[in-house]
Amino acid sequence: MEALWTGIDNIFQPGVLVAMLIGSVGGLAIGAVPGIGPAIAIAILLPATVFLDDLVSLVLLLGVYGSSMYGGAIPAILINTPGTPVNALTTYDGYAMTRRGQAARALALAYSASFFGGCFSILIALGALMAFGPYLRDLGALFGQRDIFMAAALGGVLLIAAHRRTMGIAALLFGFGFLIAMIGRQTLKQVDRYTFGIEYLYPGFNLIVVIVGTFAISQALFLLTGKDDDPPRARLSGTLLAGFVELARHRVVALISAGYGTIMGIIPGVGEFVAQFFSYSTARAISKEPARFGHGAPEGLVASETANNAVPAAAMIPLLALGVPGEALTAMMMVVFFDAGIKPGPDIFENNPDFLFSLFIALLLVNLIVVATLLTTSKYIARMIYIPNRLLGAFILMLSFVGVFSIRNSFTDCMFAAGFGYLGYILRRLDWPLVPIVLGLVLGSIMIEKLTAGAGQIKTIADLVNRPVSGTLFVAILVVIAVTLVSTLRQRRFDPT
Amino acid sequence: MQVRVDTDSMRTSAAPRPFRADPRARAFAADVPPDRKFKIEDLMAFKRGRGDLVFSALALMVALFFLMTFFTETGWDKRKLPGDGWTYWARQFGLIDGEGRLARLGRILKQGWVAPMICLAILVPAAVLNLRDSWRVHRWRVRFRQPTSLRYEGEMWLRALEFVGWFIAYTLLVPVLGYLVSTLLLGTLLPWRLDYRGPRWMGICLAASFTIVLVFRTGLQIRTPVNIWLYDQLPQQAAAFMKTWF
Repeated sequence: MEALWTGIDNIFQPGVLVAMLIGSVGGLAIGAVPGIGPAIAIAILLPATVFLDDLVSLVLLLGVYGSSMYGGAIPAILINTPGTPVNALTTYDGYAMTRRGQAARALALAYSASFFGGCFSILIALGALMAFGPYLRDLGALFGQRDIFMAAALGGVLLIAAHRRTMGIAALLFGFGFLIAMIGRQTLKQVDRYTFGIEYLYPGFNLIVVIVGTFAISQALFLLTGKDDDPPRARLSGTLLAGFVELARHRVVALISAGYGTIMGIIPGVGEFVAQFFSYSTARAISKEPARFGHGAPEGLVASETANNAVPAAAMIPLLALGVPGEALTAMMMVVFFDAGIKPGPDIFENNPDFLFSLFIALLLVNLIVVATLLTTSKYIARMIYIPNRLLGAFILMLSFVGVFSIRNSFTDCMFAAGFGYLGYILRRLDWPLVPIVLGLVLGSIMIEKLTAGAGQIKTIADLVNRPVSGTLFVAILVVIAVTLVSTLRQRRFDPT
Repeated sequence: MQVRVDTDSMRTSAAPRPFRADPRARAFAADVPPDRKFKIEDLMAFKRGRGDLVFSALALMVALFFLMTFFTETGWDKRKLPGDGWTYWARQFGLIDGEGRLARLGRILKQGWVAPMICLAILVPAAVLNLRDSWRVHRWRVRFRQPTSLRYEGEMWLRALEFVGWFIAYTLLVPVLGYLVSTLLLGTLLPWRLDYRGPRWMGICLAASFTIVLVFRTGLQIRTPVNIWLYDQLPQQAAAFMKTWF
């Protein structure tokens, strides 16, 4: 309990509160603009966090992460264009409701469902922290280097398996990201790996350079070479409070979806899309009118938005508990942890329990701020939809420079970021996923770091899997591979369309 | 929930009227295009387009390049492996019982070439499989007379290079003109190039660029180049002021 109160005390510092407000409102606005997602915003903000206090930095990024999906629902419902990729499912029923003249109702329902999903997973996490906190401190002894190596490997396998239609591409890009992480001088044996005698490559690629290039610059190029959208004008009026009352009528769907979101968030490499997929399918299966799904069913909207917003808090759990990020945004947040000298992982329960409480309470407050903002200013936030895409691209390009240059004052960093940006642009054009690159980079680094650190205890190959946790995780890896192989072979039918 | 549709008024009215189903949304009016039809499976949809084959081939070439340079660029020449390789691995996997001490696997895992080997074990087969899939789709496209020419996609790839050029030019301009002037220049010239012209757009772009400088440089004090040619031409006090805040 002492940690909880210290955590609350940490939150109510002026700097943290300001960061929370900026992150929440900024995330909302970013989410509402189709074309910029939270990944780009976080990529651009990452270098700025170097100059900020640890908690302030993390709260700022969490604010963007936790609020962007709320904002993303606005264009999804009003103009049939998801603000962030994970709001795609919201368009199915949200936009159909708008077509029926129920835009205000759809928005209200989306906000209340998002709020419920967000709060549900946060409260689960906080509850688990309070209930199991004393036992979680012993996790440090249970999780050794080999266990975390295996957890990171499981994360990689799950990530590839989750890209069902693009598994080959996901594996290729994961391997590429992994290889990027290996470039540079290995400090232990003083061996240069793939440096080709280039001095710049000796310390290896900076994670922020790769992230800003791959996510922000590539998106800027994508917007700059595209065309401006001409979204239809939508006027919005009416009360938005009714959504909370209506949500109570769909409480079963909301609870199931929040559960899916929380579970899928915890599993590394899975995330929002799979959570939505399961939630929506279940909601349709249990509905009395499944035919309405996709044509303006409020349950469909509730399923999609609740599942989405339950993920951020849950996704923090593997990051904090194991030091293994499950998806791109938490991978980016790891940079802040590294920078702050806080090692996410089992030891955090022993060393910084108040920090954990602070993060989850901050996320809870972010949800409150966001809902309060949306209920009062939706009309104005909806105007963000009409910012021209190419103009946005120009400003993202400008912001990317600050992001990259400020890390090490290096123009070479900027050139490499431009190179990664160009590569990311081509990948975006081809519709190849970018997330495996970042996760390959982060999970690959973790895997090799833990494998090297734990090498002293590895006499035979069996030593990699003969601990309770590593053994269980290894079995999980085998099961995931087996299930994926079987389902892939079953769907062997060639379908190029 | 019951959906009430006001059908009477729709029938009696001669002029087209908005379709209203919920009294709470009565004030809402939207002029929106017909909705697209989605399936939930669309969330996971993926379609290989033009340029995929070329890029997949390039990806394999890159993977093979790293494979070929593996023996010279990863410390492979400094490797320390047990002499009797096959016997060692057979003993590691418990296939045979050997005599004498078994060299620790951890000693091998610490060596520099192990991590790149793991990467290549993922990268190279994935690149081969991906090229195979891409080739199959390409053949399908040829057979069913789908567009396969790289021209449009290639043009798009080349078009992006112009904006990479803008980014590099901006990067090179900052040490000469300073962060403030370079940002204002990029913030107005690039939108101008994109056809956002006229006093209104220029005003918006100038204000936005200046805000970026104020937030990141003046407010957050993010590092930008210090030795700036333009600032060095200014009187000492002005130069110091500009270097500190802009």
